[in-house]
Amino acid sequence: MNYVSISIDGKNILAWEGGNLLQVARENGFDIPGLCYHKKLTPTGACRLCVIKIKGQNGLVMSCTVTVKEGMEITAFDDELEETRRHTLDYLLAEHNDESDGTYKDELWDLAIRYNLDKRENRKYPNICRNLDYKKDISSQVLEYDASKCIKCFRCIKACEEVQGKNVLSFSERGIYSHIIAGFDKWIESECDGCGECVQLCPTGALVEKPHREEIKLYKIEKKIITTCPYCGVGCQLELLVQNGRILRSNGVEGILPNDGRLCVKGRFGFDFVHDKERLTKPLLKRNGTFTEITWDEALSLVASKFLMIREKYGNESLAGYTSAKCTNEENYLFQKFVRIVFANNNIDYCTRLCHASTVTAMLRSIGDGAGSNSIEDFELTDCLFVTGNNIIETHPVTATYIKSGKRKGQKLIVCDPKWTPLVRYADIWLQPRLGTDVALLNGMIKVILDENLTDEKFIKERVYGGTDSLEELKIAVQEYTPGQVERITNVPQDLLTEAARIYACAKTAIIATGMGMSQQVVGTNNVFALINMMLITGQIGKMHAGLCPPRGQNNVQGATDVGCSPIYYPGYIPIIDDENRKRIAALWKVRPENLSGKPGLSTVEIVNAAYDGKIKGMYIMGENPMVTDPDLNHTEKAFHKLEFLVVQDIFMTETARIADLVLPASSFAEKNGTFVNSDRRVLRVRKAVDLPGEAREDRQIIADIAEKMGYDIGNYNSESEIFDEIAKAAHIMAGISYERIDHQGIQWPCPDKDHPGTGTLFLERFNTSDGKARINPVRFVEQTEKPTERFPFILNTGRILFQYHSSTMSGKNRTLNQFANKSYILMNSSDMKKFGFSNGDTVKVWNERGELITTLRESEEVAQGELFMPWHFSESHVNNLTRNDLDPYSKIAPFKLSACKIEKIQTRES
Amino acid sequence: MISEKRIILKNAGRINPGKIEDYIAAGGYRSAGIALEKDETEIIDIVIRSRLRGRGGAGFTTGLKMKYTNQSGIISPGRYLICNADEGEPGTFKDRAIMENDPHLLIEGMIIAAYSIKASKAYIYLRGEYFRSNELLSGAIRQAKEHEFLGRNIFGTGYSLDIEIKTGAGSYLCGEELTLIESLEGKRGYPRIKPPFPTEKGLFGDPTLVYNVETLSNLPLIIEHGAEYFSSIGTADSAGTKIITISGDVINPGYFEVEMGVTLRDIIFELAGGIPDGRNFKAALLGGASGTFIDSTALGTPLGYDSLKSIGAVLGSGAIMVMNDQRDILKMTHSILKFFGHESCGKCVPCRIGNSVLTDGMEDIIKRRDKSRYNLDLLIYEADYMSKTSLCPLGQSPVLPLKSLKRYFEKEFRFDIK
Repeated sequence: MNYVSISIDGKNILAWEGGNLLQVARENGFDIPGLCYHKKLTPTGACRLCVIKIKGQNGLVMSCTVTVKEGMEITAFDDELEETRRHTLDYLLAEHNDESDGTYKDELWDLAIRYNLDKRENRKYPNICRNLDYKKDISSQVLEYDASKCIKCFRCIKACEEVQGKNVLSFSERGIYSHIIAGFDKWIESECDGCGECVQLCPTGALVEKPHREEIKLYKIEKKIITTCPYCGVGCQLELLVQNGRILRSNGVEGILPNDGRLCVKGRFGFDFVHDKERLTKPLLKRNGTFTEITWDEALSLVASKFLMIREKYGNESLAGYTSAKCTNEENYLFQKFVRIVFANNNIDYCTRLCHASTVTAMLRSIGDGAGSNSIEDFELTDCLFVTGNNIIETHPVTATYIKSGKRKGQKLIVCDPKWTPLVRYADIWLQPRLGTDVALLNGMIKVILDENLTDEKFIKERVYGGTDSLEELKIAVQEYTPGQVERITNVPQDLLTEAARIYACAKTAIIATGMGMSQQVVGTNNVFALINMMLITGQIGKMHAGLCPPRGQNNVQGATDVGCSPIYYPGYIPIIDDENRKRIAALWKVRPENLSGKPGLSTVEIVNAAYDGKIKGMYIMGENPMVTDPDLNHTEKAFHKLEFLVVQDIFMTETARIADLVLPASSFAEKNGTFVNSDRRVLRVRKAVDLPGEAREDRQIIADIAEKMGYDIGNYNSESEIFDEIAKAAHIMAGISYERIDHQGIQWPCPDKDHPGTGTLFLERFNTSDGKARINPVRFVEQTEKPTERFPFILNTGRILFQYHSSTMSGKNRTLNQFANKSYILMNSSDMKKFGFSNGDTVKVWNERGELITTLRESEEVAQGELFMPWHFSESHVNNLTRNDLDPYSKIAPFKLSACKIEKIQTRES
Repeated sequence: MISEKRIILKNAGRINPGKIEDYIAAGGYRSAGIALEKDETEIIDIVIRSRLRGRGGAGFTTGLKMKYTNQSGIISPGRYLICNADEGEPGTFKDRAIMENDPHLLIEGMIIAAYSIKASKAYIYLRGEYFRSNELLSGAIRQAKEHEFLGRNIFGTGYSLDIEIKTGAGSYLCGEELTLIESLEGKRGYPRIKPPFPTEKGLFGDPTLVYNVETLSNLPLIIEHGAEYFSSIGTADSAGTKIITISGDVINPGYFEVEMGVTLRDIIFELAGGIPDGRNFKAALLGGASGTFIDSTALGTPLGYDSLKSIGAVLGSGAIMVMNDQRDILKMTHSILKFFGHESCGKCVPCRIGNSVLTDGMEDIIKRRDKSRYNLDLLIYEADYMSKTSLCPLGQSPVLPLKSLKRYFEKEFRFDIK
């Protein structure tokens, strides 16, 4: 793009050629009015307020519809233009209901004041809004629509269509009677999923958030805090509005990545849990099976004495800690420092082991980094996207908006999933393999690519270890996976497989987004090896808009490992066994190097197994809820009961807290400062918005206090910023990042020094391996040991839905989210329903040798025959009662996605 | 006594419109054959030299539109021809006359136009209520395919063309070319921002040529007889003939094809037989709702784009609605304004609210006469503002009839001097 020179009202301006004239004018201080224009949307030209004149052109022109060209001479303000604008505004006010309840910003009213039309007597046209019988739609869970406030600017329609890619909104009727409808009429009956983008972009009070509307008054808002969303790993930037010490609204922050104002229903409406009456406010000690309140001093002394006693009695290896992807980097960093210094072992892990551990393991071995190689906007800019085992619309809704935008521009989209997901609607190709057959499918695609010579030889020669020789072993490994054979194993039609392979290989750039469907299997690591092999032979990495991205499930699952919450890594992915690094860290932590254990610790499920075996005796759990999230829950519960002392630090009485000996009330994301790292390695600020409830304390203080009581100094920090500075010293990947630098917008690691802008795309020059080259790791398909049998004929798959989140500790405390979905269910294909005599809505028992649960049956073509699907959020029917803890040998991840089971009707649907 | 000059409607009533054989026997599809032997730039040149102007209402030089589309399509793979058959202007039914009498003429015209821009796909956007036209055109397309005038490799020239009919759903606005394109793409009929013009970026983002039915129907005879022949018919500014549809207070309403240059008086009093029941002529509305009123002083004006313009009137679609001396101009005005209000899509503010202001204002004038807070000047002031600021031609239309009323019927709005 070129700079061109234009003039506005005699002022010379340099602007991007092709830029939007209204935008350019406003950025240069010319406050041309306009209501239908929004910089995220295509120009509409509906409100006709942004009129200007261009020298050499007849008549008035709408500046929002003009693209900047060299030499343009613009008149933005003169008497005629201002009179025309006043005329239009007067018109708009004639069909507008002026009454405001103070719950929304009104750009129209701001203009009315500017043009002295706020007073009725200054207006020329009688108000007709009362005669029009304007409709209201208050049926939605999340918003209210009032047509008498609507100026028909199209911003909501375009927000839904162009920004969120959902196409739910449109106009009903026409002319002066036009009004917005969702779907065919009523909001509640439409496909609206409550993201609220329309509300955010509405310039008047036509669309207003429903929750807290009776309470919020914008003129009473005490503060607006910009922070990072506590749900998934997109890391959306939120603006929290606080009134009377309570969060009453959440807006997306426009103009900065990763979300540029976009949110999903959880980010916009999922903050009520912060003020929930069930928040823990006092330390609770279990005596004779019931919890009683104790003082902090008693609590801290108790933890200290118990941990010291256990270590004394059973040795250094007898203690372990679970930290949390929900907590900040600063808290996680302190927690791992605590475990390493105070427990003097490396028994620290968290739920990452249960989600992307296999992905990370394979990526580290093949390309040297386990994090996503690309930036979120690449999901839009890439030519081809291969989404596998990843229900991205529901689990990373804002990332999915970028895909939908890319799709509109002609991106090719291949979805690979045994279960239908909403993304299939947008896909060019949907591959639906049987559960657990991914390696065969991918090897089949690799074989097509090799046989048809669609490989990128230059890339293989230059960037892959062994060059083209490396293909030999791969060729042998994939030899048997002919399209026909793959169809027999996976059920995927040969022609689809071949076409998908061609599209991926031939695309100029392609990105793979891989999710839990790939990773949460006994062969999780092999699945990802196969993916990486396909990527390497086609050279779809190491260039812009190409690579491999595992979108992270939790807000800080990336950061927690980045800062060292791992049994095998110190901060910055430096192996425990690296003696030099341990010495360096010991100096940083002011401890003796020999006091830091060089022996890799136990991982999540291994810790549980060790507890079961009586090797782990005491545990410190911060913010995790393994009693919902771990596989084979009955086994997990037995293991925890065998502990001599279990302390849980959380914001709610979770399923895990209930079986603890001591529960410590901690802080939510809104009550502390810190940072999260999102899926595209962006270090983002978290800021305190409200005070802690009751006697709840900030997590970092609790950790430090326990250490102190035990006689250890794990650092004396005046602020979270100081902790981060220490992280930057410990982890080279963040060396150049500081709170000051990320005050406005996050920075993506690696960022080696303070002048480094951060890294959007990894591996452009070299891979992060010792020799800089990637490794091909040929893998073979192995039949699952868990198979449908006569006794357990169904294979159960598990996953997530948009409206709840993980163990629903947080999301389940929001009335709005619960209105969308708050009950467990299981999906079954209609032909199975018929075959086995079930009907929609039956209450069913699902069981296998590990456990059982009771839930409601739903008929759905989203699952294939012989397969079932159940979301795992709902504690009334723990799906993890049925899952296994047979671990992937490389990554120790558990196979949540595949459990044989039986399903029986226990009650027919009440009619 | 003047008579019709039927060069477009020459087959009307003479052949069976349902039979391609009849059309061929009358010399049909010869022009298309001639055209396809020529280079497309040669065709464009002939059409420019013929001085044919758009018969939909705007009167833009037909050949230039062809030239622009042909030029802007160089890098784009797709180009489209659209026949605008969404005849919605009140009082207008000239396109129906063509389609119901001689559908193959339109198909032949479309072949020539599509070839001139190398479009391989053309659409007829047909008014939804024109069932008979739809039936005949569908049959004509089928027959033309059978005779290999449409489809692959027409006349063995290697050129291929497919024509598809799409029906409108009753929106006046969808007759506006950009709105029509939006509707044709399957979207709601809202006008698009202009520029880009369709010749540059039209249907599905590709260069698109949009012609009215009557315009297209002129092409076969221009190709067959040459630019000079066509140009010699009519007047200096308006070549050829025009199909006039006349309705209202006349003895003999209907359609008439006349040479440009005949006077309005000739059309109204001779072809249409004058005013019935011994009444006198009071006014005529030319060009439909978005047209202009004239009084008897203008009856001597020759038919033509520029001649009518010089007296503050428009030729428009060629509709003439005649009112006798009993008719109420105010009510007629109110009816027109109400029509615009009803057809306004609501997208842009000036049209959406302005039409409501105009209708309410006119209602007030009728009710309260000289006590009204509105008067003709105020209505023109609003309409003028609307025409300067509206997004599409609909919002720019009300000013036309209102200004003509100011010129010819101001005294009807002056209650003080009556």
